[in-house]
Amino acid sequence: MTAPLPNPGKKYDLAFARWVYDNVNGGDKLAMCMQCGVCSGSCPIGVNMDHGPRKLFMMIRAGMQEEVMTSNTPANCTSCYRCVVRCPRSVPVTYILQDLLAKQAELGYRAKDNHENIAFAKSFWWSARAFGRTDERLVTAKYYWSFGPAEFWKRSMENLKIAIGFIKKGRMHIGMPHSVKDKKGLKAILDKAREIEQRG
Amino acid sequence: MSTETATPTKPKKPGVYVCKGCGIGDAVSTDDLVNVAKNEFRIETASTHDAYCSADGVAAIKGDVDAGTVDGVVVAACSHRVMADKFRFNGTPVVRANLREQVAWSQPAGDENTEMLAADNVRMAITQMQQTLPPLPSQVQEYSRTLLVLGGGITGLTAAREASQAGYPVVLVEKTDQLGGWANKWAGRMPHRPPYRDVQDIDIAKLVAAVNDDPNIEVKLDTRVMTTAGQPGSFSVTLSHAGQESSIEAGAIVVATGFRPYDATKLGHLGYGASPDIVTGVEFEAMLKAGELKRKSNGEPVRNVAFVQCAGSRDPDHLPYCSSVCCGVSIKQALQVTKTDPKASAYIVYDELRTPGTAEEFYRQAQEAGVIFMKGKVSGVDAGAMQVTYKDDLLGTDVPLAGLDMIVLATGMVPNSTDPDVPVVEEEKSAAQLKSDINPFSAIPVAGYKAGGADGPTPPAMPHLDRIPEGGPILNLQYRQGPHIPVLADGFSDSHYICFPYETRRTGIYTAGPVRRPMDMGESAEDATGAVLKAIQALEGSKMGSSVHPRVGDLSFPKVGHDKCTKCRRCTVECPFGAIDEDEQGRPIINAARCRRCGTCMGACPVQTITFDNYNPQMVNAMIEANEIPDEFSEKPRILVLACENDAYPALDMAGINREQWSPFLRVIPVRCLGSVTLQWVSTALQKGYDGIMLMGCKSGDDYQCHFIKGSAIAKERMSKVGDTLKSLMLEKERVAITEVSIADSHAAPKALNEFAELIGAMDPNPMKGF
Repeated sequence: MTAPLPNPGKKYDLAFARWVYDNVNGGDKLAMCMQCGVCSGSCPIGVNMDHGPRKLFMMIRAGMQEEVMTSNTPANCTSCYRCVVRCPRSVPVTYILQDLLAKQAELGYRAKDNHENIAFAKSFWWSARAFGRTDERLVTAKYYWSFGPAEFWKRSMENLKIAIGFIKKGRMHIGMPHSVKDKKGLKAILDKAREIEQRG
Repeated sequence: MSTETATPTKPKKPGVYVCKGCGIGDAVSTDDLVNVAKNEFRIETASTHDAYCSADGVAAIKGDVDAGTVDGVVVAACSHRVMADKFRFNGTPVVRANLREQVAWSQPAGDENTEMLAADNVRMAITQMQQTLPPLPSQVQEYSRTLLVLGGGITGLTAAREASQAGYPVVLVEKTDQLGGWANKWAGRMPHRPPYRDVQDIDIAKLVAAVNDDPNIEVKLDTRVMTTAGQPGSFSVTLSHAGQESSIEAGAIVVATGFRPYDATKLGHLGYGASPDIVTGVEFEAMLKAGELKRKSNGEPVRNVAFVQCAGSRDPDHLPYCSSVCCGVSIKQALQVTKTDPKASAYIVYDELRTPGTAEEFYRQAQEAGVIFMKGKVSGVDAGAMQVTYKDDLLGTDVPLAGLDMIVLATGMVPNSTDPDVPVVEEEKSAAQLKSDINPFSAIPVAGYKAGGADGPTPPAMPHLDRIPEGGPILNLQYRQGPHIPVLADGFSDSHYICFPYETRRTGIYTAGPVRRPMDMGESAEDATGAVLKAIQALEGSKMGSSVHPRVGDLSFPKVGHDKCTKCRRCTVECPFGAIDEDEQGRPIINAARCRRCGTCMGACPVQTITFDNYNPQMVNAMIEANEIPDEFSEKPRILVLACENDAYPALDMAGINREQWSPFLRVIPVRCLGSVTLQWVSTALQKGYDGIMLMGCKSGDDYQCHFIKGSAIAKERMSKVGDTLKSLMLEKERVAITEVSIADSHAAPKALNEFAELIGAMDPNPMKGF
C-alpha cells in the first residue's frame, strides 16, 4: 500500500514534495528538474492539460498538494515518451505522471475536469482483464455508459454510422468477444503484478 | 638602465632611420623623409633600409650607435607599440615615428597629403628625440624587502606563506588573538578541488601551523596598525600591541582584512529578530559547527528549513551588489542539513541562483540530494507561523511555505575596507575623502581653483556613495590625500578589478580577498597569491626606481621646479594615486616610488613646472610646433589629436592594421594619459594655426576604463573650461573636442576622427595661421 499523504486536506504542505520523492515511481529524480520546460514543449497533448509537466513538477516542490492531486495532467499523458527522451536532466517524466495518476485514484482524488481519460482507462482495463483482449464494442459501450444512460444513448447514436461502416468493411466483428485461451493464467499474472506493486 | 657616467644629456646627434618595409616605401617617398631630417634638422646620419627590423637593419643601427656616430635613434617605421625589443640599443634613447599603421596602411599611397603626414610624423619624432633626457631613476635611500600582510584569515595566511616561499620576510599582523579568521567558525567549505561536488572540511589549522612554523614569517597577534607613512620600498608602519607601540619597515603591503557580514538587524522585513528561529547564515553555520541542529525556540529537531537568498543584497535599500558566495554557502548548509537528518527538507528560495565556476557542480549535487530550489522573490516572512511567502516566477503565483522549523537569511558581505572598531577621525573629512575619490565628477576642493565653474558640468548624483562601510582607516596613511585606501562605489578597495586586479590607488599597497570583491575561501587563497606577486613586483621595482603597472619599468618620475611653483596644490589634490605630499609651505613633495607616471600632475600644473625627463610640456609644445601648417588658402586644415597611449593610440594602430582610412589632416601625438594634457598645448596648437584639437582617451565615470583611474575624468573637467578661453580668442568652442574610446574601438575611433575632421573642414580656417 502507498503511504497516505502526510497532511491530507491541506492546500499547501511542505511535506508533500518529500512524499512524492519517496512514494511515486521516479519521484526521487524529480529534484533534478531544472524547469527548462522541454517536457511541456514536447508534449503533444499538453494543450489539454491544466498544467504542463514542468509546472506540475514545480507545484510538487512548492508543496501545492491539493492542486497537484486534482490535476488532470497525469490522466492526459499518452505515454509517448517524448519528454523522457528529451529531458536534459534524465527525469522520467512519463513514469512519474503514470504513477501519480495511480496515486490520485488510490487516494480517492479526482481530476477537477477532463477526467474522461480516466473513464476510458477504466473501460480499457475492464476489457483487458476480462478477456485478455480489448473488444472495441464493449470498451466503447462501457466508456459511454460511465457518463450515464442519456449520454450513452447520445454518443452511441452519433457513432452508429461509423460502427456500421466498420462492420461492412470487416474491421469490427460481430458475435462473442475474442478472448485469450488461458484466462485463469492471465488473472494470476495481473493479480501478481498488483501484489508486487502494492508491496512497493 | 642608467649608466654610471655623469648626468645624462639630451641627444646632440640623433640618427634617423627611415624604413621602407611593410608598404611604407610604396606609400611615401622615403628619400624625401631623409631629406626632411637632413635639411630641416641638420641631421648627419639619416638613411633608409628595406626592413630595419631585420637582423641586417638592426645591425646597421647598432653599428652607428656603437661607433658613437649617433647618441639617439629615431626609427621611422612601425608604431612604437611593436618591435620595441628589436630597437633597443643599450640605453640609447629610441623614438619611433609611426609611418606604417597610421600612414602607409591608413592613407592613400603616393598622395600629396600622405607625404605631408609622413614628413610631419618624422618632424615630431626628431623633435621629441631632441627633447628627450634619458631618465635617471629616483634613488630609494632605505629599502626593505619585508612584506607586511594585514589580516590573519585564509587570505592573509596564504599571502604570508606565498611571500615567504618566494624568499621574502613577512610580518603578519592580526587584530584578534588567533590566526584563521572566519574559517575557524565555519563547519565546512564549498568544494575547491575536483570533482567540486561535496562539502569539504575546513583545513585552516594546517595553514595556521605552517605559518607559525615558518621562520620567515613573524606573526603579530592582537596587533593593530596605527600609522603608515613612506612609499613602496620604505613604508614605515607603527604597530600597537597591548598599548605598546612599535615600528617596522616594510617594502610593500598586502591588505587582507576580509569582510564582515551585513548587519541583519536592518532586515526586520525578513523577520530577523522576531523569532529565535530566524537566523543569519553565519549564525546557522555556528549551529552546524557546534553540531546542534535544533530549533533555538524549543529544541526540537530541524526538519524543514528555508534559506532566503539575497537577504539584504541586490537591494537598493541595503547592499546594492551581489555577494556571490551566499548562494553557494546556502547550498552547502542545505546539503549539511539533509546529510545530518535524511528526513529533513531544505528549501532554497532564490531570485537568481548564482553559482559561478565550479559551484555549478555543487549546485547539481544539491539537486541530486533532494534540496528543493524555488525561484521567486520573497514577499513576506511571518515569524509567528514560521512562514515564508514568495512569488514563484515559475508558477506565477504566491506560494506560502508554512510550518518551517527554521528560516536562514543568507546575508551578504561588507568589505573591511574600513575598520569598524576604529573611531572615525574627523568624520566628515574622512567620508569626503573617500567619496571624492570614488566620484570622478566630484568637486576638487582647492583654493583658487573653482571646480565645476559657472557653466561647467554639474556633478551627477551618486546615491551609492552613501554606502561606504562605516569605520576608521585601516592603514591610517600619512598621505596628503587622507588616511584611507580609496574604494570603489560599493565600498570595496580596488582600482579596476578586471584590468588591474589587486591594485589599489595607493602604490605598493595591494588588496586581496573579500576586501576587494566578495569571494569564497578558495578564491581568496588564489587572490592572495596574485596580490603577493604584485607586491613583490612593487617592492623590487622601487629598488630600481622603476614604475609598476601600467608603465612597468618606466624610470622617469615627475620633477618640480620649486622656483616656479605657486603652491596652488592642484598636483597634490589631483594625483590619482596620492603620490604627492606637501611641505609646511604647501609645496609639493614627490614620492617617486608611489608615482605611476601618468603625468596628471603635469597636466594640472598651471605654470608647467612639473616635468618628466622624457615627457614634459615643453617637449610636446615643441612637437606641436614642429609640424608644418599650410596657409589658409591651401584648403588643408590641420587637426591635432592627443591620443591616450593606453587605449586610443592602439585602437588607431589596430584601425590601420584593418586598413581603415581616415583624414590625412590629423597629427597624432600619443600622451601618457589624458590627465597629462596641459591646456598650454591647446593654446600652443591654436596659436600655431591648427584648426581643431581632439583629445582621445578612455571612458570616464562610474565604470571608467582609464588606466590611471581619474585621468580622463580630470581631462574632461579641464576641457569643460576651455570654451571660455576659446571665446576670448574669438574662436569657436567646437574646435576643441574630447572623445572616449576603448581599445576595441578600432572602427569607431577613426570614424570619430573623420567626423571631427569634417566638422573642422566646414569651419573657416583658424585665423591665427601664419602669425
